[in-house]
Amino acid sequence: MKPVSLLLGSRLTFDVTILAPHVPFLLKGALLTAEACGLALVGSLAIGFLVAALRTSSSPLLSRAAFVYVDLFRNIPFIVQLFFFFYGLPEIGIYIDAFSTGVIALSIAGGAFSSDVIRSGILAIDPGILEAAEVSGLSKPVIFRKIVMPIALRTSIRPLGSVFINLILTSSILSTITLNELTGSAKIVASDTFRPFEVYAVLLVVYASLTYLVSLAISALHRHLNRDRMPEVA
Amino acid sequence: MIRARGVRKSFGSAAVLDGIDLDVHGSEVVSILGSSGSGKSTLIRCMNGLEKLDAGSITIDDFDVSLPKDLAEARKRSATVFQLFNLYPHMTALQNVTLAPIQVLKRSRAEAEATARSLLDSVGLGARADAYPAQLSGGQRQRVGICRALAMNPRYLLLDEITSALDPEMTAEVLSILAQLAKTGTTMVFVTHEIEFARTISSRIVFLDKGQLVVDLPTEEFFAAEGGMARPRISQFLSKMRKD
Ligand SMILES: Nc1ncnc2c1ncn2[C@@H]1O[C@H](COP(=O)(O)OP(=O)(O)O)[C@@H](O)[C@H]1O
Ligand SMILES: [Mg+2]
Repeated sequence: MKPVSLLLGSRLTFDVTILAPHVPFLLKGALLTAEACGLALVGSLAIGFLVAALRTSSSPLLSRAAFVYVDLFRNIPFIVQLFFFFYGLPEIGIYIDAFSTGVIALSIAGGAFSSDVIRSGILAIDPGILEAAEVSGLSKPVIFRKIVMPIALRTSIRPLGSVFINLILTSSILSTITLNELTGSAKIVASDTFRPFEVYAVLLVVYASLTYLVSLAISALHRHLNRDRMPEVA
Repeated sequence: MIRARGVRKSFGSAAVLDGIDLDVHGSEVVSILGSSGSGKSTLIRCMNGLEKLDAGSITIDDFDVSLPKDLAEARKRSATVFQLFNLYPHMTALQNVTLAPIQVLKRSRAEAEATARSLLDSVGLGARADAYPAQLSGGQRQRVGICRALAMNPRYLLLDEITSALDPEMTAEVLSILAQLAKTGTTMVFVTHEIEFARTISSRIVFLDKGQLVVDLPTEEFFAAEGGMARPRISQFLSKMRKD
């Protein structure tokens, strides 16, 4: 007990009010995180549906290419992908700013995971439903948009939620490429104030609340997409 | 008319359809009988283009279902009702019925919905237009399935054991709709195990056995003692069906 209290004793106060002047700065960081994650969410969904469509397509070439993409990006640490885009590509003359790099890298990585989830959602669709659609003369793109996507989304929305939460957590790594999002600005405040304990305690709470809100939203969306299986409101 | 000539289809080494010739003219109701595994569903699936023929041809109003360009037209002229309904689970009854008219026939939403509502009304589902399939009974789902097919204003209705997933009461409600359709001159190809019902609505009965069309007779002849019943295979089948 003694050494612990001694250690604690060396810093007697836990005072978050000390952070008050830095709140606008942290908020700016949080906003950047929200923007990057929001865009990356759209990006990974778009890539996810596209790649899932390719992987379930009848063309062996397309499905093979899609498979390679998924396998590749799922098996490389995110930070390595990020460094490659941000520090590697300029060597061959491709410059992308930190924010765009972050969004693109998150979308590509998130897209690989999303496509897997969406693909199993697509494979779970009763083939009879797709046959009914085909026989009624609907074109393939219409079937994909009006039947395949919404039905796959019904079953994949929960696992997609986990992918998005992961995306938010992973976005903290963007701080390593000079992007002062939430974690990046917290780092700056911590070193400015010499109060890492308070700063990172707040950061913990903020990330936890953010992901909790997202999981609430996912649950609500899941209920909405599966509203037909809920008791009817008379 | 629907015209099948020398239709062959195998899965692996098993010949499921072994040279089928069949004509279905406008306003006819042709029932296809045959024991399980005789190839009835496969024949329907060849007609609506879900299976590719190995040999022979099927034309619907002279549109060849084996030609991609013709198939689209053939599918506009025919509509299928499925044994397991195959409704779109994420859409209401109304949306199930209006989707293809809007997307394929390019009807306006208002027009498609008006048609859909009157169809749903006519099968006693007017009040359930906004219900989802999961909220409907089997019989109600199949009635939506029929409306979805009819909304395309098809010349030919292909029906594959559409009551075999239903209990007797629901079967009766679905069959009564078919009886009405038959009266209005809708052309139907009707795969069924409901022998007695087939007898009342069919103009012709066709009997499939191991992928071959062994009998094709006007209904009365089929059931006459000296007609189809004179064949042991058919009388066996019918007495077995009636027992079940
Ligand atoms: N997709 C398929 N793959 C392999 N065999 C099939 C397939 N579809 C049908 N069959 C076989 O073809 C035969 C006829 O099937 P089907 O047309 O469904 O008969 P029915 O509808 O008269 O009961 C059955 O032996 C069945 O197992
Ligand atoms: Mg069958």
